[in-house]
Amino acid sequence: MSILLTKETRVLIQGITGKEGQKAAQSMLSYGTQVVGGVRPGKAGEMVEGRPVFNSVADAKAELGPIDITTIYVPPFAAKEAFLEAIESDIPLINTIVERIPIKDTAYCLAAAKERGIRIIGPSSLGFIAPGIGRIGVVGGPKELADQIFQPGSIGIISRSGGMTNEVSWQIRKAGMGQSTAVHVGGDLLMGTTYADLLEMFEQDIQTRAVVIYGEHGGSYEFEIVNMILQKRFTKPLAIYIGGKFTKVLPEGINIGHAGAIVARGQGAEEKSAALASVGVMIAQTYEDLVQLVQPYA
Amino acid sequence: MNLYEFEGKALFEKYGIKIPKGVVIRRGDNVDSHFESLNSFDVVVKAQVLSGKRGKNNAIRFCSGKDEIKEAVEDLFSMEVRGQYVASVRIEEKLSILSEHYVSITYDTNAKQPVLIYSEEGGMDIEDVDESKIYKCLLDISNEKLELKDADFLGESLQHIFQSLWNCFLKEDCRVVEINPLVKTLENAWVAADAKIALDDDAFFRHEDWETFEPRTMMGRQPTDREIAVQEIDKGEKYYQGTAGKYIEFDGDVALILNGGGASIANMDALMDVGLQAANYTEYSGNPPREKVYQLAKIVLSKPGLRGLWMCGVVANFTNMKETFLGIIDALDEVQPRYPIVVRRDGPESAEAFALVEECKKRNSLNMQVFGKETSMTESARILAEAIHKQ
Repeated sequence: MSILLTKETRVLIQGITGKEGQKAAQSMLSYGTQVVGGVRPGKAGEMVEGRPVFNSVADAKAELGPIDITTIYVPPFAAKEAFLEAIESDIPLINTIVERIPIKDTAYCLAAAKERGIRIIGPSSLGFIAPGIGRIGVVGGPKELADQIFQPGSIGIISRSGGMTNEVSWQIRKAGMGQSTAVHVGGDLLMGTTYADLLEMFEQDIQTRAVVIYGEHGGSYEFEIVNMILQKRFTKPLAIYIGGKFTKVLPEGINIGHAGAIVARGQGAEEKSAALASVGVMIAQTYEDLVQLVQPYA
Repeated sequence: MNLYEFEGKALFEKYGIKIPKGVVIRRGDNVDSHFESLNSFDVVVKAQVLSGKRGKNNAIRFCSGKDEIKEAVEDLFSMEVRGQYVASVRIEEKLSILSEHYVSITYDTNAKQPVLIYSEEGGMDIEDVDESKIYKCLLDISNEKLELKDADFLGESLQHIFQSLWNCFLKEDCRVVEINPLVKTLENAWVAADAKIALDDDAFFRHEDWETFEPRTMMGRQPTDREIAVQEIDKGEKYYQGTAGKYIEFDGDVALILNGGGASIANMDALMDVGLQAANYTEYSGNPPREKVYQLAKIVLSKPGLRGLWMCGVVANFTNMKETFLGIIDALDEVQPRYPIVVRRDGPESAEAFALVEECKKRNSLNMQVFGKETSMTESARILAEAIHKQ
């Protein structure tokens, strides 16, 4: 079993007629994901990659039946509306790649989703992949590249960075291991689904024997993990790399890397590593070290 | 984007929060003609920098009399405040203070919603205030009317200020608004004696007026010409905005063209670990067009005194390697650097991209080593260090 998706998962693409939406449709279909249709206001009746386009999420749902996951590929200024449409249609999981959504819009959508028990992965998330089962979004790139990087296995992967989701997965594969599910949580300051949320799922997942995380300086999400481990809500081996050690020489408040990685006192890479090490999390000095740290548990 | 105090205060005033009467002096301005409009020689002179802790760093001066003011202004312009360049100075009336308070609104990342923080003990670092003296209330982002829990102890006038601050936070797309100190004067008025505002850059598209803010950097100096030039490149076509706009200059001598926000910071760490010094921090992400990568690369390579170039990125998900490498190749053809170059990258269309890079290497006789995903990013940093030391 993987977390978040199965072979039966039915997926919708909001913004399917755009460049990125079409790319996502190809990406998911090529990996065997069940894309059932797409949405683009005013384009009902068109087809993309052999899948029907609807004017709204509600129309799509009425016509297609249950939808498990919707993915949003629209410009940043239209993201809020797209989110709210999906939330009102009670789609249980929303993933969005959209970067640079104003934080006010993100906060608004997260609050609305929470009210209805809907999970958001992102913003700024390329998606996630369960090797051999399916993928949401464009994680792993073209099918032949994805097949070089991903193979079913026992390591769960969580990353703040889309590129590093691939890179870390590749290092795992290169060492002869495979991945259970690899999730790009997105690099924004506000994250719909946090490390802690995913660790709870990996804890329940039989296929997953150990988890690796690529984290970043700034923000406070890594500190949630410390509490989880203390409360024994996560008990599997965990290795983490936190990028951004070099930022200790920069002024506070400067933004380097992702939006969420604003250098702030007490939330630097070193403080996070120290807090995590104190509860037994394995700390990697370079990202490649993640592989050696989890190898004994794979 | 972080605002200077005077810019923040202007926003506060727009939302009905009282601020001290004052003027802004820029470098080269005639001081006399400016502060005379205040009709008072009893003033506070404050360096305008994008950093807190100005009081402790002698960047705020209390003056009485013309000569003292002029001297203070001159002195502030001659100094750096915690490594920051003093862009301008604000002179404002001295307040008659009864008490100093603290209030801010920002995003609580754990709760994923805004939070208002208030303390009766303002005028110092909020981190130094005892937890028991801090009032915190999570705010409902969908409610423009501020609703505070257990807030009876706050008087009506204070709650009114908080509502104005909430209006400012929401309408101006702020990430942080902070008033410290929020002064209660002997005349019983609330006045924002300071202003700290961080605007959300991602909301730029709905705030045309933000265009008028002057360029700034938090690096303790004015933005360099190259930094400003890169910002210009990134303006271009809307669809590609943000894909190639990051360039921060450092003192080192290794030019960097990195990819992706996450990998780039891991690579900055890796560079530090092998003992090399970055000349710049630069990344492109997503799928920037050839022309944009070319312009970015040309600026990176134009910095004097370079001893090496590292182009390093992950196994890309969907960045088209051929398109982006063509931009780099255009720049290399033009600049033809003589120092060592190490490239590590992989992803869609990598075979074509690598072939093109090899041709470029040959026709320009470049000292260049190119690696794909079999060599890790960290390893490629070591290879670059060796090549530079061999020179």
